[in-house]
Amino acid sequence: MIAITAPSQRFSRLLANPSAGAILLLVILIVAMSVAFPNFFTGINAGNVSNQMVFVLLLALGMTVVLITGGIDLSVGSVMGLSAGIGAYTITSGAPLVVGLLTTMAVGAFLGLINGIMITKLGLPDFIATLAMLGVARGALFLWTGGVPIIGYMLPEYYVISGLSQPFGFITVPILIAIVAVVVVAVVLKFTSYGRHAYGLGSSPHAAVLSGVPVARIKVIAYMISGLMAGVAGMIMAGRNTTVAPTMGLGYEVAAIAAAIIGGAALGGGRGSAFGAVIGALVLSITANAINIAGVSSSWQQVVTGGVLLLAVVFDRVSSLIRARSARLATRLAHA
Amino acid sequence: MFPSNVTAATQVGLAAEAPIVEARRLGKRYPGVIALDDVSLSLRAGEIHALLGENGAGKSTLIGLLSGLSNPDSGELLVDNKTRNFTSPRQAQDLGISTIYQEQTLAPHLTVIENVYFGRELKRGPFLDERAMRRRVESLCEEFGLSKTDLDLPTGSLGALKQHVVQILKALAFDARVVILDEPTSGLEDSERQMLFDHMRRMRERGVALLWVTHRLDELFGLADVITVLRDSRWVAHVAPTDQTPDSLVRLMVGRSRNLAESSTVHDGREGLSDTEQAEVLKLTEVTRLPLLRDISLTVRQGEILGIAGIAGAGRTELARVILGADRTDSGEVFVRGRRVLIRNPRQATKLGISLVPEERKTQAILGSMSIAQNISISSLDDVSTGTIVLNNRKEKNAANRFVTELRIRCSGVTQKIGTLSGGNQQKVIIARALFNKPSLLIFDEPTQGIDVAAKTEIYRLIYDFVDKGGAAIVISSELPELVNLSDRIVVMREGRLVGELTGQRRNTTGGTDNELAEKIMAMVAGVTEQSRVAEETP
Repeated sequence: MIAITAPSQRFSRLLANPSAGAILLLVILIVAMSVAFPNFFTGINAGNVSNQMVFVLLLALGMTVVLITGGIDLSVGSVMGLSAGIGAYTITSGAPLVVGLLTTMAVGAFLGLINGIMITKLGLPDFIATLAMLGVARGALFLWTGGVPIIGYMLPEYYVISGLSQPFGFITVPILIAIVAVVVVAVVLKFTSYGRHAYGLGSSPHAAVLSGVPVARIKVIAYMISGLMAGVAGMIMAGRNTTVAPTMGLGYEVAAIAAAIIGGAALGGGRGSAFGAVIGALVLSITANAINIAGVSSSWQQVVTGGVLLLAVVFDRVSSLIRARSARLATRLAHA
Repeated sequence: MFPSNVTAATQVGLAAEAPIVEARRLGKRYPGVIALDDVSLSLRAGEIHALLGENGAGKSTLIGLLSGLSNPDSGELLVDNKTRNFTSPRQAQDLGISTIYQEQTLAPHLTVIENVYFGRELKRGPFLDERAMRRRVESLCEEFGLSKTDLDLPTGSLGALKQHVVQILKALAFDARVVILDEPTSGLEDSERQMLFDHMRRMRERGVALLWVTHRLDELFGLADVITVLRDSRWVAHVAPTDQTPDSLVRLMVGRSRNLAESSTVHDGREGLSDTEQAEVLKLTEVTRLPLLRDISLTVRQGEILGIAGIAGAGRTELARVILGADRTDSGEVFVRGRRVLIRNPRQATKLGISLVPEERKTQAILGSMSIAQNISISSLDDVSTGTIVLNNRKEKNAANRFVTELRIRCSGVTQKIGTLSGGNQQKVIIARALFNKPSLLIFDEPTQGIDVAAKTEIYRLIYDFVDKGGAAIVISSELPELVNLSDRIVVMREGRLVGELTGQRRNTTGGTDNELAEKIMAMVAGVTEQSRVAEETP
């Protein structure tokens, strides 16, 4: 009896690990890609993938923090576009590059602050507040620019900062920025009381209130982190594209949520990690790269992103069902 | 009442030292309800203070005031002889008052150590001081039966006792001087319960003042140092357990009004009604669904009202869910009208003639923005459709009008929104919805929750009408007088088991409640065994 159940239990436990599925998916993906496309596993392509994944990774990091607290941020794509637009505009009006870049990040964090205030002070559902921000920020960018892309802000240093010029080989400045962001978010989540409060809040809001956790502050900061990450991503993308089109960042919220969820963040809160966000962003970027190499229409990319998101959620649902069932089985055995 | 409290307290007079917490004539009102009225209480170091009372006696409100969840409207709360006004649970905690709530208030994804320090983490500079937290928890855990390997598990994976222990550690890690335990033994096995009592003794030895809410009177003896009894939101008595028996405590909790006590023999001789000849509508044999239901066997016959008594968490709602097929059974058999069935979901239960009038009308029953007619027809749309596809408004209205007349629902018309009706009329609409399914068995879960007295009587009449016309009813209610007056038979549930069966007062409409019967049920609900009763009565 024990001999029969042991392997299946081990398998269940493996499935129950939130990151296990994503890592498995990633390995399969890499192996399949290497077999199918000989030029996938090359330094140049690795550099391509890394430089492309920076945007989704940064957004997914912020999204992971928000998801851990039990919220969701639908506005990241629009926030990314609007903050990049405002930052670029300050440079065209004569401000130094540093001021322009700081402005971009500050606008992102500020829009996140507004999201947080709408949710905690006005009591709006996360979904509605950030959906409104998605619409308003995007609309503002269109109205303000009149639909005409912003240009003329590309100072020489911006080429380096955005990774367009690569003085250190394929390790570009954006990749370094992303690494720093991953480390900072990982440290905050794992080693600070803010992180502990965020996990606990998402795990049980009721327990958080009774334990004296400053719930509103934790949420507002989570949305500010998400906004800041969108601002940083916008800053890099403005340099990468050399123009800020009013459509910049359109639809990126889906990729950000997908990457975070693939990486083990739960829609119900309480779970997720910076490491998971990296895995999730890698999975999405490699599939995008595959579509690119295979020469398939890039419209497929959205279909695939949506499909992978669906798969991740189904996987999450199945693994939590398995966990619940084995817990009930354990009580039954204990009473038998 | 207050002076007698003082004398009683001095009689008990265990400790001469000043109490840590002193509640003076606390009162709390909510719109339309007096939740607590003039209640006083003192908590002293190294003392286990038991708090008794029926459901709704005001225990939870009192705990809420002491733990900083809400503020009193009148009276004073003193901690260390200073008047305090708590604005958050955190303030109470900072003064050394920790509360272990009945519902789990741990974050299930966090580990034991993380939960103990959740909200009050130890830090070194900007970072968490994991080592200091681990050291402190490790120094406490083994004494309270947690192994070091447990400390890194998420609390959601621990059993009920261990989760309680985590909450105890959470209090002790911060040197709590007062620990409030709200029914800590509910959901625990017997052996686990004994371990919890040992933990409570350990806390007492450490000089902690414990306030202990419990329903199980047999637990008190040998453990509690003083007992405070509440009834109907008021303070009733402050006694020492040495002067009491389980029965005398039950009397204090239920209260005996002298002029009604004589009616206690009303039900005599009713057993001869030979309802055993009536057809069985539902029969359960040894139905089990762990961890909450064990070996439940019962029958409900045509024309009968079966009452189910028990405290919250005793398994009453879980039993209803199993009968409805909302949860599967682990083992045991279910028979409907003599035929063995496996009910997979509530829809199938409806087809078999079993319907539920759920508790929590607001969240589980009414569709607030829809009309009375729409609320009645929602689970029988086939019956108000043309060719089962296109809804037929006229059919729907006709059916609704029939119910409005039959059940005397007071409204301006069937198109009125249900949200604008009174609680009693809303409940009638929900009953109409259940009746529309033409059930042979109706399960009423807390049927008169939040309904005024006059409307309650009408709800009772609807239940009588239903069984008189050949239906059968199961009534789950926390209001003991209601259950006693309504039911033909009453089964008592405790910790997932049926622990007794009694004959009810059967549709007693005279208003007098059989107090002796109520006390008997209360004693069973509270786990006072026949043996302990006999032992107490023959000193």
